[in-house]
Amino acid sequence: MTTDLRPAPTGTRRTAGLIAAGAAVAGLLIVVAVLAPGPALPTRAQDGLTLALSVLIESLPFVVLGVILSIVVQVWVPPGAIERWMPRSAWGRRAVLSLLGMLVPVCECGNVPFARGLLMRGFRVPEALTFLIAAPIVNPIVIITTHQAFGFDDGILIARLLGGYAVANLIGWLYSRHPDPDSLLTDRFRATCEIADAESLTAGRARRSLAQFVVELRAVMPALVIGSALAGAVQVVVPRDALLAIGSNPVLSIVAMIALAMIVSICSNVDSFVALSFASTFTPGSIVAFLLVGPLVDVKMLALLRTTFRTKVLAGLVVIVVLFAVAVGGVVNLLA
Amino acid sequence: MREFLGRFGTRLLGVGLASGLAAVTIALALTDQLALYINPSSNVFAVSMSVLVLIGAAASFALPLGAEADHGHDHGDANEHAGSHDHGHAHDHDHDHGPESPARARPAAAIGRTAIAAGGVLATGIVAAIVLVPPATLSAELAMSRDTGAPPLFQGADTVALAATGDTASFGVGEWASVFATATNPEAFDGDEVTLTGFVTPEDGGFGLTRLVITHCVIDAQPASVPVSLETRSGDGVETGQWVTVTGTIRDVDGRLQIEASSVAAIDEPRDPYEY
Repeated sequence: MTTDLRPAPTGTRRTAGLIAAGAAVAGLLIVVAVLAPGPALPTRAQDGLTLALSVLIESLPFVVLGVILSIVVQVWVPPGAIERWMPRSAWGRRAVLSLLGMLVPVCECGNVPFARGLLMRGFRVPEALTFLIAAPIVNPIVIITTHQAFGFDDGILIARLLGGYAVANLIGWLYSRHPDPDSLLTDRFRATCEIADAESLTAGRARRSLAQFVVELRAVMPALVIGSALAGAVQVVVPRDALLAIGSNPVLSIVAMIALAMIVSICSNVDSFVALSFASTFTPGSIVAFLLVGPLVDVKMLALLRTTFRTKVLAGLVVIVVLFAVAVGGVVNLLA
Repeated sequence: MREFLGRFGTRLLGVGLASGLAAVTIALALTDQLALYINPSSNVFAVSMSVLVLIGAAASFALPLGAEADHGHDHGDANEHAGSHDHGHAHDHDHDHGPESPARARPAAAIGRTAIAAGGVLATGIVAAIVLVPPATLSAELAMSRDTGAPPLFQGADTVALAATGDTASFGVGEWASVFATATNPEAFDGDEVTLTGFVTPEDGGFGLTRLVITHCVIDAQPASVPVSLETRSGDGVETGQWVTVTGTIRDVDGRLQIEASSVAAIDEPRDPYEY
């Protein structure tokens, strides 16, 4: 079964023609978008769509950046170039990977394609999970914005950073004890990995890059669109007052802020400003819980993670992150 | 036919959806409306990445349909799902037909495939709506439902410090709302003349002049509001949601700052309805 079915090299003229056709379609899309010939929607639906679109416009560049980094990691970095710098021991590797967010300039939406690139490159599942959980919190932009919002008040910044780092390594360690970590991945993603492996033996780098561009966007885009739409819809349907009525109770406030974090799906580099507006009515522990849970397992992230990990892994992540956030929030409330 | 649909679906749901959103981003930038959705400071990043998506999408036309998933290799999934089906021909791989595609024999696969198809249709519909529906601003109703009663503190202490120096010419509703809520010396602002634009929300003894303030993108929008009292009670014709420009004087009423309006002019919604 080794028949080479790659199409015969097509003429340059044909390729140029196809690309021109593609450019024409892209141009046409822009024209339609400028004209926007559709009807205006009823207020609520329109608000939901506006919210969803704003998340999409904001996150698309980061997703593209993540896809590009994933292509770089998978196609262009020579084998062994990254691996050489990694510690030998499993926990050491995870500890380093959870700091990778300090170097890789992507937001949490871009982390998913990047982590998929790492997995395709041969990084282990618990290692990719550690990166995915740590990077949205342990990264320079989030540290700066959280500091802008809270300074060092009530230990919120410290609790967020250390908590994010710790829960990522906890999750990495728990899943490293899984007897068959590969079974945590969806069949679809495993098939993609196998294709990538096979591909690397045959096709040229430019073609592989383009193929991975197509495959990664296919994996991430529907989840991103549906996740953002969900985030927009929930915001116009669930009344905030209901959640906020319980702000000053040390336990209930933590639960309420966790629920809010999972619903609103704000990027981790600005969520501290939103949290700040609750700081006067909510306990500091509940703010920390909000800042820990939001970037890791909100509805948008869960939809994105589902492209790669099985549902039971997502359930596990939610349970661990939420319990951890409750614990950290509780400790902060006791100390503050 | 099913194979073709699957391969076409891969392109539509990946490059296609991304291109739709990229086209909307570029169209909004061309018509100067991107500020309806994101903070203008990230415009350059958003637009350049969108251009990149469209270039990649145009280039992907040169990659034959299915070429990204079809290399004539047996991927060995027959081992995992022994006897499920015979890879008689390399083209039998239909990786696009759902997450469980190699396991055609499992009944769950059919459900999975249906769910994927439904999700794909839904996502395509959402992006189509986004491309077709004209851009819009968040409604006043949403702004009010987000009002938590907590003072908005986006700019933190800097704003109040700046206000203390008297340099308030550039202040919008957001900055003044911060000052009103946090100033420790309200009497210092008594008598300041202000002209502010925002929309009307209900409030006792006048109305609230409200504006949505955005840090990053519209989903983090927070309402900021300053109380406006009307000198003449006759001017109550202001409806909730109406955009107005208020000219007036700041008054310290028992330690609580408010704006005493000398004129309230109804206007059309401005091109930049949000403050950043």
